[in-house]
Amino acid sequence: MSLLAVNQLSVRFGGHRALNEVDLAVEAGQVTGLIGPNGAGKTTLFNAVCGVTPPTSGSIRLADRDISGLDTFERARRGIGRTFQRLEVFSSLSVRDNVLVGLEIRRGWSRRHTPAPQFLAHSRDLKPSDEVDLILDRLALHAVADQPVGSLPTGQARLVELGRALAARPTILLLDEPASGLDESETEAFGNLLIELARAGLGILLVEHDVALVMRVCTDLSVLDFGEIIAHGPPERIRTDEAVLTAYLGGGGDGTRTGSARRNGTRAAGGRPNGAHAAGGQP
Amino acid sequence: MDKFLTFTILGLSTAAIYAVAASGLVVTYTTSGIFNFAHGAFSMLAAFTYWQVHVEWGVPAIWSFLIVVFLAAPVFGAGIERVIMRGIEGAPEVVKIVVTVSLMVGLLGLALVLWPADQPHTVPPFFAGHSVEFLGVVIGYQRLLTMGAAIAVALGLRIVLTKTRLGTAMRAVVDDRSLLELNGGRPGRTSGMAWALGAMLAALSGVLVAADQPLSAPALTLLVINAYAVAVVGRLRSLPRTFLGAVILGLLESYAVGYISGSTSVGPISLQTFRTAIPAIMLFVVIVMQPEARLRAHGVTRPRLPLPVPSQRLAIGGGIALIAATAAFGSMLQVGDLGLVVKAFGFAIVTLSLVPLTGYAGQISLAQMTFTGIGAVAMATWGANGSPFWVLVSIVICAVVGAVIALPALRLTGIYLALATAAFALFCTSMFFNQSGVMPGGSVSVPGVNFGFIEITNDYRQLVLFAVMFAVIANLLVVMRRGSMGRRLTAMKDSPVACATLGLNITATKVGVFALSAAIAGAGGAMAGRTFVTDDFALTASLPVTMLAVVGGIGSIGGAFFGGILLGTFPIGSTVFAANAIGIFKIVSLSMTDVLAFAPGMIGISLGREPDGAAPQIAAGFRGVLRSTASLVVSVVAVAAMWGLAKADMIDKWGMFAGIVVFVFSAVPLLPVVFAGSRSDGPRIAPIRRLPSLAWMLVAVAIALVLPWESITDSNGYRILLLVGLTLLSARVSVGLVGVAPEALAAPAPSPDMVGIESPLTRADAMDAARGLGFDEDEFEALVAAQAGPIRAGRS
Repeated sequence: MSLLAVNQLSVRFGGHRALNEVDLAVEAGQVTGLIGPNGAGKTTLFNAVCGVTPPTSGSIRLADRDISGLDTFERARRGIGRTFQRLEVFSSLSVRDNVLVGLEIRRGWSRRHTPAPQFLAHSRDLKPSDEVDLILDRLALHAVADQPVGSLPTGQARLVELGRALAARPTILLLDEPASGLDESETEAFGNLLIELARAGLGILLVEHDVALVMRVCTDLSVLDFGEIIAHGPPERIRTDEAVLTAYLGGGGDGTRTGSARRNGTRAAGGRPNGAHAAGGQP
Repeated sequence: MDKFLTFTILGLSTAAIYAVAASGLVVTYTTSGIFNFAHGAFSMLAAFTYWQVHVEWGVPAIWSFLIVVFLAAPVFGAGIERVIMRGIEGAPEVVKIVVTVSLMVGLLGLALVLWPADQPHTVPPFFAGHSVEFLGVVIGYQRLLTMGAAIAVALGLRIVLTKTRLGTAMRAVVDDRSLLELNGGRPGRTSGMAWALGAMLAALSGVLVAADQPLSAPALTLLVINAYAVAVVGRLRSLPRTFLGAVILGLLESYAVGYISGSTSVGPISLQTFRTAIPAIMLFVVIVMQPEARLRAHGVTRPRLPLPVPSQRLAIGGGIALIAATAAFGSMLQVGDLGLVVKAFGFAIVTLSLVPLTGYAGQISLAQMTFTGIGAVAMATWGANGSPFWVLVSIVICAVVGAVIALPALRLTGIYLALATAAFALFCTSMFFNQSGVMPGGSVSVPGVNFGFIEITNDYRQLVLFAVMFAVIANLLVVMRRGSMGRRLTAMKDSPVACATLGLNITATKVGVFALSAAIAGAGGAMAGRTFVTDDFALTASLPVTMLAVVGGIGSIGGAFFGGILLGTFPIGSTVFAANAIGIFKIVSLSMTDVLAFAPGMIGISLGREPDGAAPQIAAGFRGVLRSTASLVVSVVAVAAMWGLAKADMIDKWGMFAGIVVFVFSAVPLLPVVFAGSRSDGPRIAPIRRLPSLAWMLVAVAIALVLPWESITDSNGYRILLLVGLTLLSARVSVGLVGVAPEALAAPAPSPDMVGIESPLTRADAMDAARGLGFDEDEFEALVAAQAGPIRAGRS
């Protein structure tokens, strides 16, 4: 049973089909990647899972329970955590307070003690301030803890968002381009953090454009293009998939550059190339 | 059957007026995102202008009509857009509401000055005397004209909005002016024309409704509230649905007039005033029926300067100081003054109730005085013995009522909450406060609280009680602000969608805050110990409360205090300037002087630049003075000069005192800003603004110096309250003129991402970049010398 199971999800905005019968599964303890060109519908998928955008059809199940009818905050209380593509930090608060608010909100609604993630290295419950400090330490934000978030560069602000989401102790994390704005060594450290979180039992759905990062940390990869899943499988297989290469990774077997320059050319031939479905593996 | 037909025709012609008015509202809202509370004031001005042109100056009806509706109105609308609306387009909802409400109040004041209410102004109907018979019912030409106009408007708008380029530009919902600009649109021109069109429609409805009845400025201004109900049926977007809503409302009201006689009652509730409640009920019902607002993630757009969190020690100390000062001050006042000061303090408590709601949670309420009324009535009805138990019960009742009202409206965006509270206020006036069973004789007497060991039997004790209440509530609010609730509310303001994804039930939290705010307002009523009349609890009484609370500085407790006191000074002003006083609003007398009639508008404009209000600015300004030598010097010299003038008997003692107070509180905090050199890392003030700002400061101080304080009034209480009012107003205008808040001086370093985009690229930044690239100082200088471009400009 998957932690999160998205079945035949479709989202339409007026006449425009943002998502078309998308199937996706996220398992506990694994990092699942979701890649695709800009405008493919990745953020729309996140919004539908979180309850921000209502789907036109299809279902969303969390731990085998249908959550399609629930409000955003109700889904969050069942364990969905999320970061945003366009920063949604609390810009009036300091870094520390951002994480603290996440923690305080969680304490406001959780009746049971959800265990602290193992990376916090304690099994008993912590004092809020200690937990916040531990999160900040782990994300290397301790030095800027008392600065207002608005004064941080984007990359660090994204980490604050992640810290805030972690403070709410989710069971599944939806991360929308969390590493954009991080340099190479920071990205390396971030990837290690994701692996560690997954090992601690979290399920992670990662949307990223940094293909190297995605290939390294993900055990399972789905590729979204024009609202449809065009490929799905382990990273090594996706890296060489024909349809994915033409659509997203750039022509040639070089999988480390993202490039969608080819895309316009293939599309001009008229409509969706049907070969895409045949070439990509189906779940 | 005849009767039915008659009232149907009547209803349709009323519907026509509503439809025309509401379409104007919808047009301006969809194109600018600003809900124009002053829309009714536009109609009212048009009606009076028509009277002026046609009746007073004798211009023939048709020409007057054309001049007012097709010339004066669009020019006026475009002007308002340019001067006021453009500045608040992206601002928080609270600011937009307060600015348009201020505009409404200001325009109403203007009308009362230009066309005093003691003379009748009557406009003859169009084509008087001609009528047509239809199915046995006589219909005057006026009515036919009205309905024809509505149809013409409907068709005309449809054509303009769908078939012209201008219309398409107007229909595009633009989140961002700059986005439209980037796409080659000209947002300025589009906005200007949209507001011109809106004003034309307002004028048309005003002129049509004016015919054949004496014009009443307040009544006409508030007629627009019926248009709100109609516009909301169309979800503030759809014109066809708006017209449908107009028909429904028009017919409902007409049938109510026709079929419900004045003496009908349902149980103890008399239906006499029911008809006046119909628009409010419809408004509320429609709001409740709206689908829930979507949470939208739009990213961090405007990082706001965070409001500094008050220290608990300051709050405690301040509270004690307030009680002591009030007790001392109060004992020196005579009975008459005491009553006035007590009233002002009462208002301060009501404005305090807005601090958690508007200041911390960013929501707006236009019904605070209604909750005060509920508290007062509950206490008077059950707590006649003054028992604190009944005080508590009254407060709880207010909280519960507040929660019930807020729940349907808080699911939606801020403007709907404002409208729902406005509808609630109107409903309560008709169906509750005006009921003879509730407030017999139109007044209610709240008993003084009896604590057992002490009973509130006179004004002095009431004053001290109010001071204690204020201090206690203020401290509780500070505790809340500093604690997790305060952080949560700030977070909710910053990003509601992020809070939802953390599991926060936003609606429940907002309802809780609304209930708290209603409870505080109710406490102000239940413990007031005085007599109120029905008008004290009306919508027109709540509007200035909200307005001045925001103006005074809504996030801060001190600001709420200033706002409340300011509210209390207005009635004093009216008695003082008795010759011009026409107290239409019992609370706010608008025609004291022409300046004060315009002041709300000025206040509104300056709010657009600095939404957090006056008190934080003043505090921040003082911090800046200590760092600016020029400001210190000027301050000391000015105070010395004023003292010298008094010594030389050129101004009286009170003049000197007033001048110093105005100077210290409204000019000094701004001196550092005005004198801030063209430092490259200072706030950027257009040079053209320094002069008017300095000029205004001189004018304000001069007014304070030469005002004949001693002869205006004998009582010190009056004088002090007037002075406070003058000071606050001059401070607001100064800030508005200079265009930069003193807080900008203390701004934290901008995000490194934004250097060169949001803030100018300074020499220091360039040096940092150069160092980062490996250049040393000499190489950097050489680079700079070689380039004639941006770096050098940044240095100057």
